[in-house]
Amino acid sequence: MNENLKIAWRNLWRNRRRTIITSASVFFAVFFAVVMRSYQLGSYDHMITGFIESYSGYLQVQHTKFQDNPLIDNSFSYNDSIAMAISGVGKVVSVAPHIESFALVSSGTQTKGVIVLAIDPEKEKKFSNPENKLVKYRITGKAIDLLKKSGFIPGYVLEKVEKCMGGSYSSRSRLELEVGLSATDNDLYIPYIIKSCEISNGFLSNEDKGVLVSDKLAGYLMVTIGDSIILMGQGYHGASAAGIFPVRGIIKMPIPDIDSRLIITTIPAAQKFFDSEGMITSLSVNLTSKSHRTMKEAKNMINLLLTDKTTVTKTWEELNPVLVQQIQGDSQSGMAMLGLLYFIIFFGIFGTVLMMVAERKREFGVLIAIGMQKRKLKSIITIEMIMLGGIGLVSGLLASAPIIMYFYYFPVLLKGDLAKMMEDYGWDAVMPTAWFGPYFYWQAIIVGMMVILATIYPLRKIGKLREIEALRS
Amino acid sequence: MKVKLLIFLFFILGYKPGLYAQNLTATQIVTKADEKLNGEKSSFTVMSMTIIRPSWKRTIEFKNWSLGRDYALTLITSPAKDAGQTFLKRSAEMWSWNPTINRLIKLPPSMMSQGWMGSDYTNDDILKESSVVKDYTHEIIGEESIGDRLCYKIKMVAKEDAAVVWGHQIRWIDKKDMLFLKSELYDEDGYLVRTETGSGIREMDGRIIPTLIELLPSEEKGNKTLIEIKDIKFNIAIGENYFSQQNMKMVR
Repeated sequence: MNENLKIAWRNLWRNRRRTIITSASVFFAVFFAVVMRSYQLGSYDHMITGFIESYSGYLQVQHTKFQDNPLIDNSFSYNDSIAMAISGVGKVVSVAPHIESFALVSSGTQTKGVIVLAIDPEKEKKFSNPENKLVKYRITGKAIDLLKKSGFIPGYVLEKVEKCMGGSYSSRSRLELEVGLSATDNDLYIPYIIKSCEISNGFLSNEDKGVLVSDKLAGYLMVTIGDSIILMGQGYHGASAAGIFPVRGIIKMPIPDIDSRLIITTIPAAQKFFDSEGMITSLSVNLTSKSHRTMKEAKNMINLLLTDKTTVTKTWEELNPVLVQQIQGDSQSGMAMLGLLYFIIFFGIFGTVLMMVAERKREFGVLIAIGMQKRKLKSIITIEMIMLGGIGLVSGLLASAPIIMYFYYFPVLLKGDLAKMMEDYGWDAVMPTAWFGPYFYWQAIIVGMMVILATIYPLRKIGKLREIEALRS
Repeated sequence: MKVKLLIFLFFILGYKPGLYAQNLTATQIVTKADEKLNGEKSSFTVMSMTIIRPSWKRTIEFKNWSLGRDYALTLITSPAKDAGQTFLKRSAEMWSWNPTINRLIKLPPSMMSQGWMGSDYTNDDILKESSVVKDYTHEIIGEESIGDRLCYKIKMVAKEDAAVVWGHQIRWIDKKDMLFLKSELYDEDGYLVRTETGSGIREMDGRIIPTLIELLPSEEKGNKTLIEIKDIKFNIAIGENYFSQQNMKMVR
C-alpha cells in the first residue's frame, strides 16, 4: 500500500501541469462554493437572530387562536409562576411576557398603523434587552455644523461623516463601522463626533405609563422624547382602547420593517389601554441554541407545564412561515447556483481524466505486459485521483477559512443605495459569514463524490485493456 | 237625503277599519309601518346594547337624541371606560369624540363597514339614508304569525338605481299596530346576511313600539346583538343646533 502511494504521488508530479490545472479547478470550485454558501448562511443567520432574539423569541406560548387571529381577545391570563416554571426548563435562557397588538398611532396630523408591544422592562433585560437599542447618537445637520465650527476635524473625515447624515446609532462601535475611518483616525476624531451627535434618551421604568417609539416611526410622526402620542385601537372583548402616552425614548430596531412601526410600552400600561387586566398575548422564550432538537425538546417540556388548555407553545418557524419560506427559497436558488458550479467543475475534471487515460494508454499497456496486476494499477490510479481532488479540496478550504473567519468577526457593512435597497426589503444591510458548520464539510463530500465518479472511467478502461492493442497505440 | 246617505256610508266605512286595512297595497303597508318607526319629529332614547360573542358578552348603555332622519347624537354612559364618548351624525357624515384622548375624529369611509362599538351594527347601518319606502318595490307574499301577532309578510326588492346595501328584504309587519316585527336582509346574491327581530311590544310615551331588538348575523355562529329600549320620549324640544361638534363635548 505504501508503495502504491509512493508510485501514485510520483505519477502525479510526472505531469506537473496537468495536476496543477486539475487541482486548480477543484480549488476554485471549493473556494467559491464555500465562501458563497458561508455568506448566504451567514445572512440568514443574521436575519433570524436579529428577528428571533430581539423580537419573537425561539418559542412562544400563545393562545391557540392567536396566530390565525392576532386579536387582544385571544390572550390568556398570566402570572409569574408560569414564567418561573418555564425558566426552570433545561436550555431555556430567558422568558419574557409580551402583549402584542395592533393600534393606530397619531401625533399632530400624522397617523399610522403600528404594532404595540408591551414588555416587562425587568424581564426583558434578559430577553431582547431593548435598552441596548436606544438611539444614542444621531448625525444631523446641526451636529455636522458643530463639527465644522470646531475646525479640529479634517475635511476628509467630515466628508465621511456627512455621508452618514440622518443615521442614528445605538452604540459607538456601530457608528465607527458606519463612518468607516481608519483605526488611528477613530481614536482621534470619534470622541468629538460622538460628543456632537449625542442625544439624550430614556427607558421605561417598571410601572411606566410611557412608551418607546422606534426610530423610523418617530421620524414619521415627528416626535421626540417628552412629546405625547395618541394610540387608538380595539381592546379586550370589544372595549374601545384610546389613550395618550408620553414618549420616553427612541429605539433603533435592527429589522427596518419593524423599525418603522413599533411602539413599546409596559405591560400594566397596555393592560389598562386594552382593558385586559391580567392578560398577555404571548410568553417569548429564548433558548441556548436554535437547533431543531433543542427547540423540539424545550417545546414539549413547556407544553407539559401549561395547565391552561387554551394555550400552546409554538416555534419561531411555526410563527413565521413567511420568513422561513423566504429563506428556504433563497437557499434553494443558492444551492442551484452551487450545483451549476460543481457541474462545470465535474466536466473539467472528467475532461482531464479522459485526456490522461488517452495519454497513458501505452504506459498502462507496458505495465501490464511486464506483469503488473490490473488490480494494483487500478488502486494506484484511484489514489492518484483522490490525491488530485484532495489537493484542490484542502487548498480550497484552507484558502476560504481565513476569509470566513475575518468576515465573521468583521462583517461587510453595505452602504449607500444598495444598503437602502436592502433595508427597503426589510433586511439589515449587513453581510456576515457563517461560522464553519456542516456546509463546510459538505464541500469535501461533494468533491469526493465527483472524484469517485470521474475515477470510474479510467478503472473501466484499465479493466478492458488489451496489452497488445495498448502497446501498438 | 243624499247628504244623509253620504253620512251613512261614511259611518259604515268608518266603522269597518279592519276591512279597510285588508285592502291596503304592500307599499301602503310599508309606508305606514315606516311612519310608525320614523314618523315622529324628534326623540330622546335611553338604550342598552348587549354584544354577545361565543366566548364573552358585553353591555353598553347609551343615550340618543335624534331629529328627523338627518341628525343624531349618541352618548355612551356605561361601562365606565367608554363613558363620555359621543357620536354625532349629520346627514351622511359621522364624527366621534373621545374624552380620554381629547380628540374629535370624522369617521372615514374605510371605517363604515366596521361594527359600531364592537357590535354587529356597522357604522353604515347607523348612517344609511335609504328608505324602505322609496328605494324598494314591495309585494305581499303571505301572512304569518310572529309570536301571537298576525303579520303581513312583505318582500321588498331594491330598485335598480337605489344606493342600498341589500339586494332584497323580507319584512314581517304586524297587522294591528303596523310594526316591523322581523326583517330578513339578503345581499345582492340572495344570501341571508342577518335577521332582525323585534319583541317586547309595549306602550312608551304614548306609542306602541317593540322595545327589544335582536340582531343575528347569519354568517358568524354565536354572534348576536341585543338592543333594549329602556326609556323613550317623543317630540322633545330640540333644534338642529343641538347636533353640533361643541355639544358633543358637553352633552351629559
